[in-house]
Amino acid sequence: MNKKFWYLTKLSFNKKVKSKWFIITNIILLVAIVILFNISAIIEFFGGDFDAKTNIIVVDNANAYEIFASNLTNFADNEDYSISKSNEDIETLKNNLASAELLIVLNSSPTEYLTSELISLDKVDNLTYQIILQALNSTKSTIGMIASDIDPEVLANISASITVERTIINDSATTDENMDMIMSSVFPTLILPFFMLIIFLVQMVGGEVCEEKTTRSMEIIISNVSPKVHLLSKVLASNIFVILQSILLILYCVIAYVVSIALGGASLSSTFDFASIFSVFGQMGNTIFLVIPVTIILIILSFLSYAIVAGILASMTVNIEDFNQLQTPIMLLSIAGYYLAVMAAMFDGSIFIRIISYIPFLSVFISPTLFVLGQITIFDMLLSVLILILFIFILLKFGLKVYKSGILNYFSDKVWSRLFKAFRTKN
Amino acid sequence: MLKVEGITKRYGEIVAVDNLSFTVAKGEIFGLLGENGAGKTTTFRIIMGLLEPDSGKVTLDGKKIDYDLSSKIGFVTEERSLLTKLTVLEQIEFYATLKGMNKKDIQEKLDYWLKYFEIPEYKNRKIKELSKGNQQKIQFISAIIHEPKLLILDEPFTGLDPINVKLIKDAIYSLKEKGCSIIFSSHQMEYIEDFCEKLILLVKGKAILNGSLQEIKESYAKKTILIKGKNIDIAALKKVKGVINVEKIRDELKVSIATKDVASQVFNIVKDADITKYDVIDASLNEIFIAKVGEVHE
Repeated sequence: MNKKFWYLTKLSFNKKVKSKWFIITNIILLVAIVILFNISAIIEFFGGDFDAKTNIIVVDNANAYEIFASNLTNFADNEDYSISKSNEDIETLKNNLASAELLIVLNSSPTEYLTSELISLDKVDNLTYQIILQALNSTKSTIGMIASDIDPEVLANISASITVERTIINDSATTDENMDMIMSSVFPTLILPFFMLIIFLVQMVGGEVCEEKTTRSMEIIISNVSPKVHLLSKVLASNIFVILQSILLILYCVIAYVVSIALGGASLSSTFDFASIFSVFGQMGNTIFLVIPVTIILIILSFLSYAIVAGILASMTVNIEDFNQLQTPIMLLSIAGYYLAVMAAMFDGSIFIRIISYIPFLSVFISPTLFVLGQITIFDMLLSVLILILFIFILLKFGLKVYKSGILNYFSDKVWSRLFKAFRTKN
Repeated sequence: MLKVEGITKRYGEIVAVDNLSFTVAKGEIFGLLGENGAGKTTTFRIIMGLLEPDSGKVTLDGKKIDYDLSSKIGFVTEERSLLTKLTVLEQIEFYATLKGMNKKDIQEKLDYWLKYFEIPEYKNRKIKELSKGNQQKIQFISAIIHEPKLLILDEPFTGLDPINVKLIKDAIYSLKEKGCSIIFSSHQMEYIEDFCEKLILLVKGKAILNGSLQEIKESYAKKTILIKGKNIDIAALKKVKGVINVEKIRDELKVSIATKDVASQVFNIVKDADITKYDVIDASLNEIFIAKVGEVHE
């Protein structure tokens, strides 16, 4: 029986890997990832500059250039902006203004101390505008304080940044303010492939069972191997396949990284904020050596549970339309898990999100997210793993009964009714 | 030898198979007849070990059929059970490996059977590219390639032309000669009459006829007399007690009679006419089937 199990597993795995769609999809994925990692180099190649600095030209009629330049440097990243003073007349500068340039005119005012004019060829993006506004407000305050004849030492103290001493009582918290930024921008990108692999997995297992059933080859197969062996071979083959696909995705990222280094390396940082991600991992200290294996176990167990449920549901179908109907709840669950993970930071330690993090199907998305956010501990993650193991055990105990009854059931009554009947069937 | 002993299978309130018993000896072809929904598929599934009966048992050579023994069984299902995206070689390899064959034997046997059915060029073609008849041949090969001890044939001639029917018939006879027990099911009664020494007729899961084809036919009282001749008094024939029906088919009269004894009275009426043929024949299996199934439904 073991021999037949491994034969079915190998056959199912080979069928997926040797299909032309697998090869085409992977070529597309490799190209897409390389492009994503090197997007700025590509834009540059076509004449654009993703990393181009915004050039700020200042016409200083208020003798405030030094203060403004200093403030702008404090508020903005030097890599994003360059600032220079110009003595040319405003009309000439306006006529020669390029799209990556901003013209700021500083004028003195007897009542407001400082007024300014911002001239640009196109609309200024919100972040740049906010930075300039902050720098201008700060410059105005400084000019105002100088005009009020405040002692330079006092002025320096007023202008200096406030000293904040931070203490976090909960030592399990591994986060800082960067985390919200990471969760909202980078994290959805990182877990998106995982979410897609789950959808892929559900459709693969379900599609294969459904195909064997609708072609009636199921009767021949099941007369030679038990339904349990049949289902588990499909589940194992699909899981090996998605793990292989995950490894390939990582490999494509490495290839894309190597390509980006070969093209100059700078483009990578503009696509992903790796430094922030690594700094978060750094904050975790030794816990990371526990979190990564637990997360991997959680992922593998979740893959298994999704695949088992897909197989069981597919066994109840008599055609692919039925399967599409039955797989909808699983899809909705995984979508819910994805969005809850992306928005986890907003729940800020609520009991609701904590409970959700233990629920099978959802735990794989939410549990690691909450851990990174510092809202749960490693023990909560281990608890999620235990609940998932228990869930898989129950799923196999009752699900195999449904599977055994379902794969030979071709009655045309409603698909959900067939499912509930199968639960009640003795054999 | 296959032994089916008192098997019963219920689906809720419905009794799909009701206390069914029969045996199929080595090298015997056994007919399993029944209208749609009579319980044939359930019976096949129980024999294949796909379903457990609520009561009774099935043994092959004295052993309960399990996953080790099921590799000795071949099954041609009524609807084609082929994965149409696979090639012929992949499909046969798949089923034959599940039956415990190794790759080398599969290749050799497949080459032999493809040549036998005159389709060696289809070995690497996808199943979906083949005609219905050729798909049926592949299905048949997949069921016999491992030389089974028991072969279940459910409508094996679907989609085949007379030449290919003959090829499959010859292959079945050859398996019978080698000692394979064969269960044959078809709605085409001429095939059953042609093939089966013994048969069972299922109606609503119950066996209403069980025995050798010869016995069943002889025990069925109604007979048919075929008469060929001139100046036959048809009106007089119709008046004979025991004559059920008289109809003219081309240049022959077909007289249906209630019992064999009526034949002598009919002969007395027609003996003085200018007759060239007078043949008393048993009812066809088709007639017996219709009559018996009809009786139960009434």
